[in-house]
Amino acid sequence: MSVKNISITPGWEKYMTKEYQDLVERGPYGKQKKVSEMGSFKEVLEEHPMCAGCAMTLFIRLTMVGLPNPEHTVLIGTAGCGRLALTQTSIPFIYGNYGDTNAVASGLKRGLEVRFKDQAKDVVVMAGDGGLADIGFSAVMHSWFRKERFTTIMLDNEVYGNTGGQESGMTERGALLKMAPKGKMFEKMDMMGLAQTAGVAYIARLTPTNPTRVASVVRKAVMIAREVGPTFIQAYTSCNIEYAIPTPKVLDDAREIEAKRYGFTEIISDEAKAYLDSIDTSKKVKK
Amino acid sequence: MYLVAHIDQAICSETACRLCTQYCPEANTILYDNAAKTAFVAVDRCKGCEICVGICDDLAKHHAIKMVMITDLENQFEMSKEGFRPDHWNGKHS
Ligand SMILES: Cc1ncc(C[n+]2csc(CCOP(=O)(O)OP(=O)(O)O)c2C)c(N)n1
Ligand code: SF4
Ligand code: SF4
Ligand code: SF4
Ligand SMILES: [Mg+2]
Repeated sequence: MSVKNISITPGWEKYMTKEYQDLVERGPYGKQKKVSEMGSFKEVLEEHPMCAGCAMTLFIRLTMVGLPNPEHTVLIGTAGCGRLALTQTSIPFIYGNYGDTNAVASGLKRGLEVRFKDQAKDVVVMAGDGGLADIGFSAVMHSWFRKERFTTIMLDNEVYGNTGGQESGMTERGALLKMAPKGKMFEKMDMMGLAQTAGVAYIARLTPTNPTRVASVVRKAVMIAREVGPTFIQAYTSCNIEYAIPTPKVLDDAREIEAKRYGFTEIISDEAKAYLDSIDTSKKVKK
Repeated sequence: MYLVAHIDQAICSETACRLCTQYCPEANTILYDNAAKTAFVAVDRCKGCEICVGICDDLAKHHAIKMVMITDLENQFEMSKEGFRPDHWNGKHS
């Protein structure tokens, strides 16, 4: 849409950081960048303190490329590893208390619809499996039942990564973790099934093995949330620290888990499908 | 001393595959110089994970990326010094 939102007031350029100037001049604003152009445009994500080789980092990076309108997006995150990078983007970020993300996003989205009648504002929650499937579970489910129009992205590393290796509802049965020394005793929660029951308009489960696919799924989810109803992405984003994956093997692991059990699945409602067919998601959607 | 990714530009520029630029977990760390048709690394952003080495070896099958001691590099590119200015790249960096 417009680079106006971020452009620098004339005369103030010299007071702005190099990074900010690069973003205004060579960032993705006003033009939908493709994954194949990565490395040749300034990304909205900056340096951040997440671990070397973290798959969650890669997924977040690709998500930022997939956002259809970064200049009209608000991110909601919470405690957990992902916010360490999410706070280092040039996209407004709100830190919901752990467990509150989807309640905060509901109110925010409704408020933005009242305040900006002529400009669609996209709200995207990005939080961990613990944040969404355990502690924020009821807020997530109710936001879906209420058909709140925003996107929920679960960074599913199947563990509480940020606090040193507790099991979550999304951990696989039998997985050994520092604080599940006998192995987890219960099955991984079926969040896709729950999302379907709650009537989520677009549901996708994937791993970061295919960067173009990640960006395209994110774009679809955000567009459908804008016009149709709640959307949910569940992304396998391994924690190489807690699962002791050597960093050069992180993508081998993702490919293996994808082939063995995670797969790539999309579930889309008829209404969402009809909406997608009516727009060309490969192009920047004018709004 | 620590290891960072280093791209052999002679090998890389034979194709324009750009795969490593899409799989490096860090933003704007493997850059792509459209004029010189090669990828190159902003060494001050590289965390040394070696994911790009596997991508270039196994997926692209070009074997253009090696891990090297940062102190052994000459003329390396540092994002914090130069910023993101593709029109200044032109194959100038090792
Ligand atoms: C209400 C509340 N309870 C507990 C915590 C402590 N805490 C911080 S991060 C975290 C776990 C994060 O796990 P997850 O949501 O899966 O994110 P990850 O770090 O794995 O990405 C916990 C329990 C908190 N910040 N707030
Ligand atoms: S602790 Fe795990 S999930 Fe968190 S940044 Fe490190 S590797 Fe990634
Ligand atoms: S994967 Fe290898 S050949 Fe392809 S762009 Fe990267 S360094 Fe060059
Ligand atoms: S070693 Fe890791 S951080 Fe460094 S350029 Fe390669 S993929 Fe990126
Ligand atoms: Mg987690």
